[in-house]
Amino acid sequence: MSQIAEARLPPPPILDMDPFSDDTIRDPSAFHQALRETAPVVYIEKYGMYAVGRYDEVRTVMSDFARFTSEGGIGLSDIRKPGAWRSPSPITEVDPPRHTAVRGALTKILSPIVIRKWREHFSAEAERLAEEVAGRGDIEAVKDLAEAFVLKVFPDVLGVDMPRDNFIAIGDMNFNQIGPNNDNLKRSLERVEPILDQYQKGFQREGMIAGGFGEKIFQAEDAGDFAPGTAGVQVRSFLRAGVDTTIAGIGHTLNLLARHPDQWAKCVADPLKVRGAFEEGIRLHSPSQVMFRTTTGEQTLSGYRLAPDVKIGNFMGAANRDPRKFDDPDRFDIDRDAAGIHLALGTGAHICIGQMIARLEAECILGALARRVARIDPAGEPEYRLVNTLRTLDRLPLRLVRK
Amino acid sequence: MPKVTFINPDESRVELDVPVGQSLMRAATAAGIDGIVGDCGGGLTCATCHVLVQEEFLPDTPPVTPNEDQMLDFTAMGRHPTSRLSCQLVMTEALDGLVVRIADPQL
Repeated sequence: MSQIAEARLPPPPILDMDPFSDDTIRDPSAFHQALRETAPVVYIEKYGMYAVGRYDEVRTVMSDFARFTSEGGIGLSDIRKPGAWRSPSPITEVDPPRHTAVRGALTKILSPIVIRKWREHFSAEAERLAEEVAGRGDIEAVKDLAEAFVLKVFPDVLGVDMPRDNFIAIGDMNFNQIGPNNDNLKRSLERVEPILDQYQKGFQREGMIAGGFGEKIFQAEDAGDFAPGTAGVQVRSFLRAGVDTTIAGIGHTLNLLARHPDQWAKCVADPLKVRGAFEEGIRLHSPSQVMFRTTTGEQTLSGYRLAPDVKIGNFMGAANRDPRKFDDPDRFDIDRDAAGIHLALGTGAHICIGQMIARLEAECILGALARRVARIDPAGEPEYRLVNTLRTLDRLPLRLVRK
Repeated sequence: MPKVTFINPDESRVELDVPVGQSLMRAATAAGIDGIVGDCGGGLTCATCHVLVQEEFLPDTPPVTPNEDQMLDFTAMGRHPTSRLSCQLVMTEALDGLVVRIADPQL
């Protein structure tokens, strides 16, 4: 396209909705629909940000780092500018080629060969917990199952020791910080204030338990694989990314399975099908709802002109229900085979590095349930937690009917 | 439609029609070729769709990205000079007649 033609391209239309209002956080479907159907890219004045919610545009913006950089941070605030309310990560907030070496060093520590060795441990914990909850019958599945499981096995392999409640409070803070500096963030900052010191220590060298991959990250720093002084922040990135999202994904999947007994019956008949159920859980209710990039200069996107140095929100949650990409997108279908197609784990160079850990956790705990529980009945309305960019359940009352 | 031949670890061969734009991993898993696992669905995080590409086709395959390059080091069979992850081999007309050997083991 010639420069003259490009200059005539219009700016994106304004979408007058708040992606971070309480109502939207509880149920983002109306916002997602408006975001997808207004235009391929819109401008949200309240936050001075662009937003994309169609599959193709989300894919493009998340992966085309030359045009849409991660170096301004993956949140709404620009970490390079004064007043930012987040501190940068040395893995998620650098572009290739700098990112490539860091990712390579982490891939070595978290290779699929390493992760597969954790199966025995995850599976033993899952069988023990499933046996206990199946015997109890009435449970609150967020605390009793998703959190109980993930907060046991993930800190075990990472090799950190922290009180369980701290993880949840810190996670809420992190996913609030990715969004705007609003009341949700204020409240969660107040909640973590008394535990912040303990948390900071939790991912320093002396906090690492021997044999965990956290310790290996420090050893890799010693070997020169990471810049001096960054290992602790790498460990923090795993806490930020790996705990709350997996808990959320397991919670959504259980909620969907309880409300679709035909799909649960398939899992009972073949427990390996829980893998497909988890992929659908995170497609339909993507735990990480939005990640940001920043325009590197004036850009064109799908016929619109974008100003330089402006944040653009990639709403993966909206893209994962885009009817342009998914047939009957709101249907929960565990045989859809959407792994690697949905964008819940991101795409491109920054695609979730721990995704095989999350899948292993989900397969172990949901599979252990499928071997014991004939039916999962809803036992009350689920409640969602008010976190700016994390779609997660706060309460999920279920009744497990033993085989 | 372009064709691809997969050589299984037991030396049996399967020929598939693969539409342009589809990855070899998707084509193989959809056709029930057990030797291609593809656990992560093409996200370059599981390294379980490992194949060895017959040498004369290598120049026509897409370049190896840094993520693929890193993951190839962690395939269960180990890396060979012609190793690729088949999720990254997206079909083109130029690849018609491609022959790949399925790595063993994948897990």
